[in-house]
Amino acid sequence: MPPSDFLPADTVMKLYRDHHGWLSIWLRKKLGNSFDAADLAHDTFVRVMSGRRKEGMGAEPRALLTHIAKGLVVDHWRRRALEEAYLAVVAQLPAPEVPSPEVRALILETLHAIDATLRTLPVKTREIFLMSQFDGMAYADIADCQRVSLATVKRHMQKALTACLIAYQVHAA
Amino acid sequence: MSAAIDPVILEEAAGWLVRFQSETLSASDRAAFDRWRGRSAAHGAAWQRVEDMVRGFGQVPPAIGRDTLRRLDRPGRRQAIRALGGLLVLGPAAWAGWRTLPWREWAADVRTATGEQRHLELADGTRLVLNTASAVDILYTSEQRLLWLRAGEILLTTGRDPAPAHRPFIVRTSQGTIRALGTRFMVRDERDSIRVAVFDGAVEIQPQDPGVAAVVLPAGQQTVFNAHQVQPLAAADAASTSWEQGMLAVRNWRLADLVDELARYRPGVLRCDPAVAGLRVSGAFPLSDTDGSLRLLEKTLPVRISRVTPFWVTVAPRPSVTN
Repeated sequence: MPPSDFLPADTVMKLYRDHHGWLSIWLRKKLGNSFDAADLAHDTFVRVMSGRRKEGMGAEPRALLTHIAKGLVVDHWRRRALEEAYLAVVAQLPAPEVPSPEVRALILETLHAIDATLRTLPVKTREIFLMSQFDGMAYADIADCQRVSLATVKRHMQKALTACLIAYQVHAA
Repeated sequence: MSAAIDPVILEEAAGWLVRFQSETLSASDRAAFDRWRGRSAAHGAAWQRVEDMVRGFGQVPPAIGRDTLRRLDRPGRRQAIRALGGLLVLGPAAWAGWRTLPWREWAADVRTATGEQRHLELADGTRLVLNTASAVDILYTSEQRLLWLRAGEILLTTGRDPAPAHRPFIVRTSQGTIRALGTRFMVRDERDSIRVAVFDGAVEIQPQDPGVAAVVLPAGQQTVFNAHQVQPLAAADAASTSWEQGMLAVRNWRLADLVDELARYRPGVLRCDPAVAGLRVSGAFPLSDTDGSLRLLEKTLPVRISRVTPFWVTVAPRPSVTN
């Protein structure tokens, strides 16, 4: 994209000077510690700079900054919850089956993307997707188990897989 | 990197993936798929994305992915995450209930996905190995140690229950129960019947029909039973637990039986063409790499592995050179 789509550098500098202070304090209150708050404050400004929103910044940048920061806080907690769930699961595994730290990062990233996608779908669709993808169940067995027709299972699967493909697009772009 | 693809095309791509995962496509369906994929660059890119995504999913060990996502799905957690106004209150309160349970009394569902194996050591020292696509409920109480085989195949080496309990060890199946008498044995659910093989000690089989007498199966023997009868005992094949080492060792099997067995370890459809079903085969086949096992077949038998997609594979006769 052409550079003109970005916010001009001096605008960003001013924005940062005017708003970094209160944003950090606001984030610290939400997150309970200043390390994560500093990270997310930084991420918020990165989003603003790469967001091609020069027209929308206008008179009240606080609203936009708060909006972006809120999204990041939600994402932060979801990642935290996912990591907690993951740790609880691998704690039950014998040592040789616990993935290495590198693999773990990869697994968490994929699961985070799947979780974010599945969250937008109905519970039934999510469950059918998990049965197929992670329980390795055949569609016919899922139909039996859920007491629905094979056609219904296929419809749920197409919906879930489409959502994943669209999310994958955003993720990879 | 990737340009945006029309969501309508992505939906069609998902539809094809669903078909590959759920049915065996005819030659004309395959031709239709090829036409669809070739319709435009975007169609080709959409299918490439399907393959990339499936590969990405494949990097997550199924049991870990499933258990982690299901744990996140618990309603309490989701609400807590949604209640973002304040700070999250997770942790001690949620776990207190677990800790107050007596340490021995616990119930769990353990499952493996297709192609997965899992080793577990239970509270009494019993070692439990789940083979591919298997499910077991573990129900230990003060009265008994009960494993409920819901599907698939397990290998058990029972531990000694510490005094003074000496609780009986029982495997429950769809066709009846198996009581272990200090032992190493295998139980496999074959849907209409249960196969049991004993390698150490002995087990007692009680079919569900109470009119049928219990049968003791000693070490070195195997049998098949259903709710109403126990078949005559036969010598146990020590190679039948080779899956625990990740290999399938066979001697003079029908190719169709071998293909059926390999199919248990891979998602999707793996079929054997009737024209080669009766070929005889011996050897050891890696279970963690069934594609490798198939290549091995191709090298040693007059067969060809035909792939429509990774989800749909047929073992077919190799076309003869002369017509």
